Amino acid sequence: MSDGPSPRVVGESRSVNGAFGLLAWVVGLAYFFPVFWMVLNSFKSELDANASPKLFFHPTLDRYRDVTKSTTGLLSFGEAFTNSAVVVLVSTLIVLTLAIPAAYALAIRPVAKWRDVLFFFISTKFLPVVASVLPIWILAKNLNLLNTRMALIILYTGINLPLAVWMLRSFFREIPRELIEAAEIDGAGLKGQLTSIILPMAAPGIAATALLCVIFAWNEFFYAVQLNPVQGSTVPIWVTTNISTRGDFLAKLSAASVLACIPVVLAGWIAQKRMIRGLAMGAIK
Amino acid sequence: MTSVRYDNATRTYEGTSVPAVDALDLDIGDGELLVLVGPSGSGKSTALRMLAGLEPLDGGSIRIGDRDVSNVRPRDRDIAMVFQNYALYPQLTVADNMGFALKQAGVPKEERRTRVREAARVLDLEPYLDRKPKHLSGGQRQRVAMGRAIVRRPAVYLMDEPLSNLDAKLRVQTRTEVVELQARLGVTTVYVTHDQVEAMTMGHRVAVLKDGVLQQCDTPRKLYHEPLNLFVAGFIGSPAMNLVPVGDERPLRLGGSAIELARPGDAALAEISGAITVGFRPEALQVGEGPLRAKIRTVEDLGSEVFVHLSLEHRGQPLALVSKMMPPFDGEPGDSIGLQIIGATHLFADDGSRVVSTTATLQAASAPAGVASDASPAAP
Amino acid sequence: MNTTLGTRIAPRPLGLSESWRRRLPLLPALVFTILLTQVPFVMSIWYSLTDWKVVPPTPRQFVGLGNYGKLVSDHFFRQAAWTSIELTVVPVLGSILLGTAFALLLDRKFFGQGLVRTLLITPFLLMPVVVGLIWKNQMFHGLYGVINWVIEKLGGTPVEFISRYPTWAIAATLIWQWTPFMMLIILAGLQSQPGDVLEAAKVDGATPFGIFRQLTLGHLRPYMELGILLGTVYLIQVYDQVAVMTGGGPGSTNLPYFVFERSIGGGWDFGRASSYSIVVVIASIIIATVALRVLSGLLKGEEIA
Ligand SMILES: Nc1ncnc2c1ncn2[C@@H]1O[C@H](COP(=O)(O)OP(=O)(O)O)[C@@H](O)[C@H]1O
Ligand SMILES: [Mg+2]
Repeated sequence: MSDGPSPRVVGESRSVNGAFGLLAWVVGLAYFFPVFWMVLNSFKSELDANASPKLFFHPTLDRYRDVTKSTTGLLSFGEAFTNSAVVVLVSTLIVLTLAIPAAYALAIRPVAKWRDVLFFFISTKFLPVVASVLPIWILAKNLNLLNTRMALIILYTGINLPLAVWMLRSFFREIPRELIEAAEIDGAGLKGQLTSIILPMAAPGIAATALLCVIFAWNEFFYAVQLNPVQGSTVPIWVTTNISTRGDFLAKLSAASVLACIPVVLAGWIAQKRMIRGLAMGAIK
Repeated sequence: MTSVRYDNATRTYEGTSVPAVDALDLDIGDGELLVLVGPSGSGKSTALRMLAGLEPLDGGSIRIGDRDVSNVRPRDRDIAMVFQNYALYPQLTVADNMGFALKQAGVPKEERRTRVREAARVLDLEPYLDRKPKHLSGGQRQRVAMGRAIVRRPAVYLMDEPLSNLDAKLRVQTRTEVVELQARLGVTTVYVTHDQVEAMTMGHRVAVLKDGVLQQCDTPRKLYHEPLNLFVAGFIGSPAMNLVPVGDERPLRLGGSAIELARPGDAALAEISGAITVGFRPEALQVGEGPLRAKIRTVEDLGSEVFVHLSLEHRGQPLALVSKMMPPFDGEPGDSIGLQIIGATHLFADDGSRVVSTTATLQAASAPAGVASDASPAAP
Repeated sequence: MNTTLGTRIAPRPLGLSESWRRRLPLLPALVFTILLTQVPFVMSIWYSLTDWKVVPPTPRQFVGLGNYGKLVSDHFFRQAAWTSIELTVVPVLGSILLGTAFALLLDRKFFGQGLVRTLLITPFLLMPVVVGLIWKNQMFHGLYGVINWVIEKLGGTPVEFISRYPTWAIAATLIWQWTPFMMLIILAGLQSQPGDVLEAAKVDGATPFGIFRQLTLGHLRPYMELGILLGTVYLIQVYDQVAVMTGGGPGSTNLPYFVFERSIGGGWDFGRASSYSIVVVIASIIIATVALRVLSGLLKGEEIA
């Protein structure tokens, strides 16, 4: 996806364009409202949050203190974030380690039947997780992996690997073939080609791929709740179990939600152009 | 001592049925600059890439020196290649680009530096060694690509249209530099271009390809004066040779005139049956006095020479001819003017192959058939 | 001429080592994916052919297609299957329509365009669990919900959305979260539209609406199809929002949640639960077949690799 909108030809009047711009802003703000309101609520007292909606209030960080200190849930804030960070980072590293050579084999030196292999990878995304969760649960139980980070690391690697292969392949295809051939003639083997040509040139694409893997793994709930409902569990579990639904909790819930979402949302905002491009290419090419 | 030999080498791309290079036989001598030329899609790049090891062979073999390299990986063939778009590593500096291959080969840093400097001096690239390719002009990039090849001191250079991204003037200038450099280094070189002028001016020998099939491999002079077939005759030379299909009538006629061949041609003509094509280059067609009348379509005056584009009626259809004249020339479009053939004339048989080259003259139209048919039995 | 067409040599396949050298980098990822997806899937099929309750432990018995036979008459299963359809079709259609509209709005230059895009993609980045909780408690809540506050201000009576219309509430939430995804795909389609064609159409005197109807829509079709298919395949698996918004409450249990309920979630009937999941797979396979056909259409231009 190229940057910016497709070229508009002269002839559309300024006011028409202005009206569309205004409409886009109204739509954008309205669409964003639930997020805005969540952030706002997180700075309120429970009383303010549950009173009829108000924009002006005395902001406080107390709810953040509450949720990070709280022990009502199964696991503490610190545990949950550590677990999530470890699981997400380790699984993403493994994904890249496996997907980069695979994408090389599919994009640059295509193996015979590369198309079938590519389709196999993407078709596994169409296999619903419910189809495998029971055997995986039993395997994990028998291997004593229930309630461990290891189980989630393996599963998240599996979830993200096909998408990563697919996306990396389209990024690798953008490297001019002559460059790789030149490197080959110049004596570079697979390792040399990867480290000196492909990785530096595809670095932005690799970063976008890694970021998407991080987002999906960070947000994943189904496997986390099936395999890791207690210890070793991750941030989504913390959000759902931390808040007692008795009494007033909306402000605390908002604070916990903001904390849970902020790493991924910030990363997504910063890298959005590249990520959008990667996602579009991953989905379309 | 590095010669290169294609032996029946064939490459058919997956998903296609016609070979892109078909049973190519080619010998390239040590230190020779051989140019592969042909229209776009004729298989030049494929032939070069086969030699580089970037395309596998589907048949035949390729030797570099005494070694059959058919199954050798590119990096083990001791070759260097210059690509059309240069294929410079964008994230490396000029110096690192040039030294890349040496680094891969594990050449110590000091030696690498001296060799890169040396090559940079030869190519006037010294001020740019620390720049990235994107901060260089097209001509400088081209020289870096050359430099990357030179630094390696390989047994063979392969160049795939290395000048085609330069503007016309720079291209002519660089052409000379490449030829000088190749002569100085004395390294066997295979050079691909679609530009026949480049081929003729650069090559010790030129190999003409068409549809993956080698048509002729010869010195530029021989290609020009003794093309083996119609394709080569038409492809080499600018403007192209006048090629006139004359059918199977005897005597041969051009428009209303008979073509009278000199002795050897006449004898050969007696041997040929079937339709014939007569070819003569623009410089062999004289405009002014002559038995055949034609109309001037346009006049291109280049100063040093004048191309006169002509039109006449030949076998019931309009026929376009080109003549190359020395200036001054003062015909105008629309003028009717006389033509005469004054130079080498080639006869091509039905299958396109050249049968004979000879001299010919046009005879006045008023002598129908008689002169020529009288002449031909007298020939032997 | 030197054509020696007679001596064609049989194509020589790549050396064994060469073809393995090319394949080797692919193998780890391939093996890993097969182990993690195909093997459990086959095990699931096997489970679904057995009668196997884990709690209380009963011996596993092969019952053939028995579990599938029971599906037809199982009221709860039929209910869950219907909810699954609702929770897939409604969000997919809703988000593709909204997503297309948003993409068209974003596909023109205006002040702060990047910022509006940022606002619009944010829901897609949020944790699904959070999306469910926030919509349930902050938007739909009977007492504190913003929507009810607006309804009251307008003089209406508050509605307990979650208990009255659980499936619709979940569907609306899903639409909110998935619209950005559709928008991105459509936007990619819009921006890949060759500008010169549009200009030519303008020069030829086409109206903006005519251009949209005749050129843009045609160009967007494969992208919309793709969005619909990918959306369908993801949304048929939705679990998170159901779990946190209603816990499968009145009539909102879809198949994935049902599988969970009947097995790990307390039912412990692994045999029958597996048969439900295989049904989800079959539905997905049907969708995926169509999806892959569309994808391969898009891949056609890539013959030369
Ligand atoms: N990777 C490829 N796959 C299939 N066909 C190809 C490929 N590369 C080139 N060809 C075909 O092979 C023929 C020769 O191409 P090429 O060697 O590139 O010609 P040239 O360099 O003379 O222009 C052309 O018909 C071209 O279409
Ligand atoms: Mg070429």
